[in-house]
Amino acid sequence: MTAKRTRTLFIASFILPTLILYCIFTLYPILRALYISLFDWSGSSENMDYVGLGNFREMFADPIIYKAIGNDYFLVFWKVIGIMLLATFFAVALTRFKMRGAQFYRVVFFFPNVLSIVVIAVLWRFIYNPSFGLLNGILSFVLQRKVEIPWLGDSDYSIWALLPPAIWAGIGFFMILLIAAIKSIPLPLYESAEIDGATQWKQFVHITLPLIWEQVRVSVVLIVISSLNGSFAIVNVMTEGGPDNSTQVLGYYLYQMGFKQYHMGYASAIGVLILIVSLLTTVILQRLMKREVVEVS
Amino acid sequence: MDYKKINPLVRWGASILLLFWTVCSVYPLLFSVFQSLKDNQQVYSGKAWDLPNLPLLWSNFSYTWDKYHFGTYFLNSIVVTGGSMLLALFLTATTAYVLARYTFKGSGILYYLYISSLTIPSLMLIVPMFFLFSALHVSNSFTGIILLYSITAVPMGMFILMGFFKSLPHELEESAVIDGASLYGVFFKIMLPLATPGLVTISIVNVLQFWNEYQYALVLLSDAIKYTLPIGLGVMQGEMQYRIEFGPLFAGLLISTVPVLIIYVLFQKQINDGIVAGAVK
Repeated sequence: MTAKRTRTLFIASFILPTLILYCIFTLYPILRALYISLFDWSGSSENMDYVGLGNFREMFADPIIYKAIGNDYFLVFWKVIGIMLLATFFAVALTRFKMRGAQFYRVVFFFPNVLSIVVIAVLWRFIYNPSFGLLNGILSFVLQRKVEIPWLGDSDYSIWALLPPAIWAGIGFFMILLIAAIKSIPLPLYESAEIDGATQWKQFVHITLPLIWEQVRVSVVLIVISSLNGSFAIVNVMTEGGPDNSTQVLGYYLYQMGFKQYHMGYASAIGVLILIVSLLTTVILQRLMKREVVEVS
Repeated sequence: MDYKKINPLVRWGASILLLFWTVCSVYPLLFSVFQSLKDNQQVYSGKAWDLPNLPLLWSNFSYTWDKYHFGTYFLNSIVVTGGSMLLALFLTATTAYVLARYTFKGSGILYYLYISSLTIPSLMLIVPMFFLFSALHVSNSFTGIILLYSITAVPMGMFILMGFFKSLPHELEESAVIDGASLYGVFFKIMLPLATPGLVTISIVNVLQFWNEYQYALVLLSDAIKYTLPIGLGVMQGEMQYRIEFGPLFAGLLISTVPVLIIYVLFQKQINDGIVAGAVK
């Protein structure tokens, strides 16, 4: 056997198992999702009715879709603000402020990140419990009167109630990312700034922030993608989209349409919408957050 | 920066916020432990947030383990997570190695194909996946779920491992080949062992993810004896909509959580490295 043939066989034997599985379990389903979205199909019958872009037209007329997109953006917006502010603050505090026990905090703050979404949901449902939940307990104590707000059962509060668990469970991951970024900034930069009398705040604005901007950008994009995809799980366990669609999000609506009402075509069309929304949002955010990359010489 | 030179107000503020967040991060878990050792009466009597009364109800754990089938779910989760981890490791290592050290027709395209799938929301694949599973006769089977989980972990893992493989010097391969090693010998006897830190990192990160996976398991494992822990816990909570048995519910929560917490505490350095390597693209 020639050396070239040996090499080709070797490469093929290493590439093909993954590539075949990838084609079956990723590439094919993507194409299939696009295909199914063009049909009116219950999933159980043999014949699929071709409706072209009918499902997408139906989506434009569906008020719940708008509600869901609104809620998705609501969650994304506040998650980005909440997670990035706290994660950045913690990262700066644990690196630049030289706080004692930095290693301890780093480990502990990541705890919520290793919990499954169902565990998070069960915990927070209990915190929100109207009659003996922690939140109403604290409010009752502070206000010195009995507070019994049904946080998840009242459409005025329900969407807000989904935010704290998401922020709580997301901080650790992004904090670690930003800590790594800050640690890679050369110390002499800070030292000379200090000699020039720059305050801690000025150092943050003029040194830290510009030099970690790439990681901030990556983090924001990651939050957006994971939120559009992941809010399905938390909504499913905590509120099932209710009350009165007040916590409906695209992901959960897709699941509901597909696996509860058996509108597989419509569900797939929602899937395509999620893809479009997340790509568009990502591109727009990348543009908005573009800055001159600061090179450290 | 000298610790002392920081404005004391900022320092105190930071300390307080750090302590507050420590409580926020740890207390819910501590509280779950308390809760799992109580009976319902203690919850309803307005003492939901207190320490549990004696005697501690350890029986909640065995009750959940047997009556709510958490023993089965636990075993299922181990099979699914373990199987997926091994397969993912194999697929990721072979692909990453070839893409990092060989150039061939289509290698660039392959790399971008895998990497770009990171931006596809997996939720949109859930409908076709459901029908694909029944077409392949792997509905409700661990085989199907293991194949699916492992392939979803390849892009990110490959990304991390390629860095490791690229950093190994070429002289290693050359001298091994001169000594008569085959291409497979070079990989299995030299390159793979040298990449161990990277392999450990991606395995740990994958295990956490597989253990907690929810959306695919929910749709693809509809047979109750095939549930993994997250699905079992979700179903248990759903069934308790009107009469919640808090002790057993929180016992179930802890049974699902303690394994990942142990793994996290043991391997937090590797997880940390994985996050840093994976996200700083």
